Amino acid sequence: MKKILFSIAMVSISILGMAQDATVETILDNYFENTGGREAWSELKGHKLTASVEMQGMTIPLEIYAMKDGRTITKVSVMGMDLSQDAFDGEVSWGTNFMSMEPELSDEETTENIKRDIGDYPNPFLDYEDKGYSVELMGKESIDGMECYKLKLTKKPILVDGEDVENVSYYFFDTENFVVVQQESEMVTGEMKGEISVTMLSDYQEVDGLMFPFSISQGVKDGESQAIEIIEIELNPEVEDEMFQFPGGE
Amino acid sequence: MIKIVTACALLLSTTLVAQTISDLKGEELFGGMKARHIGPALMSGRVSDIEGHPTDKSTIYIGTAGGGVWKSQDGGVHFKSIFDDYCQSIGTVAIDPNSPDKTIWVGTGEVWTRNSTSVGDGIYKSVDGGTNWKKMGLEKSDRISSIQIHPDNSDIIFVGVQGALWGESKDRGVYKTTDGGLTWEKIFYIDENTGCSDLVMDPTNSDVMYASFWEHRRTAWSFSSGGNSSALYKTINGGKTWNKIHNGFPEGKYGRIAFAIAPSDSKILYSVVEAENASKSGMYRSADAGVTWSHTNSDFALTIRPFYFARIVVHPTKPNTIMKAGLFGSVSKDGGKTFKGLGSMHPDIHDIWYDVNDPDKVFVGTDGGLYRSLNAAQTMERIENLPICQFYHVAIDDQVPYNVYGGLQDNGSWFGPSRSPGGVEARDWKVIGVGDGFRVYPHPTEPHIMYSEMQGAETVWRYDSKARQTKVITPMPGEGDPKLRFNWNAPITTSSNNPDRLYIGSQFVYISNDRGDTWKKISGDLTTNDPAKQNQAESGGLSIDNSGAENHCTIFSIVESTLDEKVIWAGTDDGNVQVTQNGGKTWSNTTSALLSAGLPSNTWCYHIEASVFDKGTAYAVFDGHTKNDPNTYCYKTTDFGKTWKSIVNNESVYGFARSFQEDFENPDLLFLGTEFGLYITIDGGGNWMKFENNMPSTPVHYIDMQARTSDVILGTHGRGIIIIDDVSALRQVTNEVISKDLHFMKVPTFTMNEESTFGGTSTETQFVGDNPRSGARISYYLNKRHTFGKMKMKVFDLDGNFITKLTPSKKKGLNTVYWNYNSMAPKVAAGKTFVQGAFFAPRVPAGSYKIVIEKGKETFETKIKVEYPKNSVFTLKERKYQEEVTKKLFDMNEELAYMVYQLDTWSKHAKNKSKKEPKLSKTATKLVSELTNLKENVAITTGDNYVGRAENQLREDLGAIYGTLGGNYGPPTSSQMANVKLIEGELEEAMNKWKSIESGALKKYKSALTQLEIKEAQIKSFEDYIKKNK
Repeated sequence: MKKILFSIAMVSISILGMAQDATVETILDNYFENTGGREAWSELKGHKLTASVEMQGMTIPLEIYAMKDGRTITKVSVMGMDLSQDAFDGEVSWGTNFMSMEPELSDEETTENIKRDIGDYPNPFLDYEDKGYSVELMGKESIDGMECYKLKLTKKPILVDGEDVENVSYYFFDTENFVVVQQESEMVTGEMKGEISVTMLSDYQEVDGLMFPFSISQGVKDGESQAIEIIEIELNPEVEDEMFQFPGGE
Repeated sequence: MIKIVTACALLLSTTLVAQTISDLKGEELFGGMKARHIGPALMSGRVSDIEGHPTDKSTIYIGTAGGGVWKSQDGGVHFKSIFDDYCQSIGTVAIDPNSPDKTIWVGTGEVWTRNSTSVGDGIYKSVDGGTNWKKMGLEKSDRISSIQIHPDNSDIIFVGVQGALWGESKDRGVYKTTDGGLTWEKIFYIDENTGCSDLVMDPTNSDVMYASFWEHRRTAWSFSSGGNSSALYKTINGGKTWNKIHNGFPEGKYGRIAFAIAPSDSKILYSVVEAENASKSGMYRSADAGVTWSHTNSDFALTIRPFYFARIVVHPTKPNTIMKAGLFGSVSKDGGKTFKGLGSMHPDIHDIWYDVNDPDKVFVGTDGGLYRSLNAAQTMERIENLPICQFYHVAIDDQVPYNVYGGLQDNGSWFGPSRSPGGVEARDWKVIGVGDGFRVYPHPTEPHIMYSEMQGAETVWRYDSKARQTKVITPMPGEGDPKLRFNWNAPITTSSNNPDRLYIGSQFVYISNDRGDTWKKISGDLTTNDPAKQNQAESGGLSIDNSGAENHCTIFSIVESTLDEKVIWAGTDDGNVQVTQNGGKTWSNTTSALLSAGLPSNTWCYHIEASVFDKGTAYAVFDGHTKNDPNTYCYKTTDFGKTWKSIVNNESVYGFARSFQEDFENPDLLFLGTEFGLYITIDGGGNWMKFENNMPSTPVHYIDMQARTSDVILGTHGRGIIIIDDVSALRQVTNEVISKDLHFMKVPTFTMNEESTFGGTSTETQFVGDNPRSGARISYYLNKRHTFGKMKMKVFDLDGNFITKLTPSKKKGLNTVYWNYNSMAPKVAAGKTFVQGAFFAPRVPAGSYKIVIEKGKETFETKIKVEYPKNSVFTLKERKYQEEVTKKLFDMNEELAYMVYQLDTWSKHAKNKSKKEPKLSKTATKLVSELTNLKENVAITTGDNYVGRAENQLREDLGAIYGTLGGNYGPPTSSQMANVKLIEGELEEAMNKWKSIESGALKKYKSALTQLEIKEAQIKSFEDYIKKNK
């Protein structure tokens, strides 16, 4: 008990010390320290989220796989039908068409941008300089009534209508515990261009030594949002290559 | 380490010094409360400046008079507000030519200095195309007319500061920065009355600049444009020295001088001069970079209202094609000799922008919004998604839904619904007055009768919207009356004690008890009646401008106490507050008590709020900005004005105040509208908190509150009508509440909404106002943002039966979660199509429900009550019948689903096992064949979800009738019941087939499994299979 109290005191002190002159590095150091450590995050090879989305009284179960090599798939089950979304096998990006229930390829630019994001896993801030990213501390801002550090993350440019566009997103780190509570980015294409997409993160829980948000709400700034509730997280899950591959023909 | 951090977080949350309501910040209290904007945008509002990207034709910025900065990235199809958190009155927007995608400058403070113009508070910069902004100084500039950025060096910027409108100020002239705005140097200054109204850099030589200086001043009762100091200057050395360039200009004083350079030939200059000799006013042209000028035109369109229309825009490639802002706007193709009008638009054109790469594409900013033309402004189309209208006032009625009434700067008087199926659309708004619109009131008990007015009460209308008839009811001077002085924005108000009563104020208070047919004067002159402030016919300076906008020594605010009809308050624009306690027989002037309390003399009384708790209590709000006083003034009296006490301070509230609202239930809950947004206090004025949740820093000219819904309605002067739905939770916030981890707020009984959702006829490019969220509005206070551990929210009936899951909101402060009265949708049999009807989750019956939040290890509960609509066309018996049939069909869906689940599981099992064990083959094949046969008869197993779908089977028919009947509010029709019977028969038949398979082929298969010691399929129990409360 003594030890724990001592540790708490130490953490509090380090946090208080931090608030004085926070820098990108001290914020990220605390963030990684408090969420499991850089080393543990680096060792992560992939994860599977078992989750659900509540929509007007319907519970829609999801299984989301994300792998270190960039492969992803979200499997959705509705009324006995299995749909795949955001599937990517490292080369090809695809998803199920809700009308035909057949797999269809993503457009070329979307695929290219997903490819450019390979290497991002499991966390954009991990070794961000090696990834060619830059991070800037924008100052403090209140999120949900809580003081946060606002970090601007610039990743490798993405392709929009054939041109490279700066790929910027903002992360808000709670100044008390240094976990990410909100992420924002400006939509860069389509009718919603210019709107700010907002992801709220909460319900952090530990999974095998790493902290994960178990509730993720996505929406548009000042608009409504939709939550994904995570039921279980499996680290380094066993996967088969076929899972991610486009099942359609030529 | 993680556990420690979590423990630490928990510990910190309990050991922090307890917060109190007097030190809460707005963002810590308002949480999920969010304003919604209903516009409208159909008449839009004043656009003060337009700036397009130099190479990307899709990107356009506009600055507005009170609605901030908007950006389009699709050539003007859609606009998005990008400056919500800052001063919304915009002088100019500039794009850095060295970094046009990223660096944008905004100079605040509109420069079209009409009486109602809002103020600015400095210069702002964005380095990411408008996503983030930083104030870069010049806080006292009041109005910034121009920003000129060096074409090769982004750090060198010249700024033209027009400066204070309402008083002397040394913060004017030309400013320069050489470090990107960190520091500024005033490099050219004339005097404290003369500001830089235009600064233009030669596009071919950044050392050459032209600056027009304007001597001008407004007071509340006059306007003066012109004087000896107005002039046009030129520098050829980057601003080190400046010389007047008036060779060819008329003799005498000048007023405002508009200026432009031809981009394609920078020797050709144009200016429109307001001259002392009116015949010499108008367009001047120079072909030698300002060495000489010649007068080319003095048409009405060129010379009218110079203070409002001083903008010339030259075609990018044709130096002799120029457009001039004006009442209607004009274009010349012969270097300014002759002009013709632009295409039809809303009057009062303020800025014009040519697409440099396609000059036939033109944008025009007017008092009625932004227009776009594809044929060089011959024909114009209105941009329909800019809700930037400027309300002077707002009123509401008590209909369901309630309507909002108000008058607009240059855009008449209107009313529209606070919500509408599909959202509040352009078509929902009705015109009930022309000209400039101000106060509009519905008759309190017969809302089809409405009152509206135009400027200076030139006309006051009573309008019957049923008969569509108007009657002019303006009170007129009678024998012995002096000239009546009505304010530009003359006070009209109704009474809560007598629905037929109407008040209007000139310098006198008039009352009518018959809806304006007869008027009685119930006061003497309540103003200071200062003759020096009543010479409006001479107002305007070099150009007389007597529009009524400067009428002064008038009554501005009248209110009758709801508690006593004999108690009437009147506030005047010259600083008096008078009260009568005997219906106007005698009045007492409380002004000296206000001055004793610290109010500067002659400060405009903008609003008086008579308390609903005590008839001797009132609040008065004063606006000193027309005396160049930016402070916030709000006073309270509890003794009929004998003494007043200030309830605001300038540390916690930003901007001069105009509007105020007292809550109907909690006397400590007060709302204050200032030039820069909305402030709320929950402790009677001790702690004012800015409300910023989807609430821009726009001038709030009037606040009203709907008693039935507890909605706060804001009439903003730049962003239309903004509503904060149901603020009742704020009434309940106390120190005790905020000390708890979670506290459920008391909520009213909720009435289920059964209105049709048909609606929504707006096109993709039209603004549609947000509706309030429907459903039960569950509200709770969290004293800390929930970040660690699980948080779940569920609904149960009072017997503890699970109803549904909700997604909790997790902000510090007040959180709102909506429940749409639905339970969970049924489990549906697996098939090859979506069963649309079965996505439906049944509504719960009226009654009480328990809301439970599980937060970490703690559980919090509250009860809410839900009722059917009172004036429904359905009887309770009919509803119960509907609920019963829906329940039956719901159960049938799940019965079928469970059967299909077992069927599918066994089918899969038999297929798999028989592959590995040949001895199973026979029984398995028979089983699979029978199961497949049954499955094909109960569910679609082929096709797709659209036009390729197969014929419906039992699963789809059952889902469809369930969805139809569940979605109805009334009883099923006989035809529907016949269908239910048919489907019941089909289900029974299917279940019988299943039973026969169970006792036949399946039984045999199971025995074979036992013999071969193969494990049976794992079949969940029905309860486990359908369980939803996970």
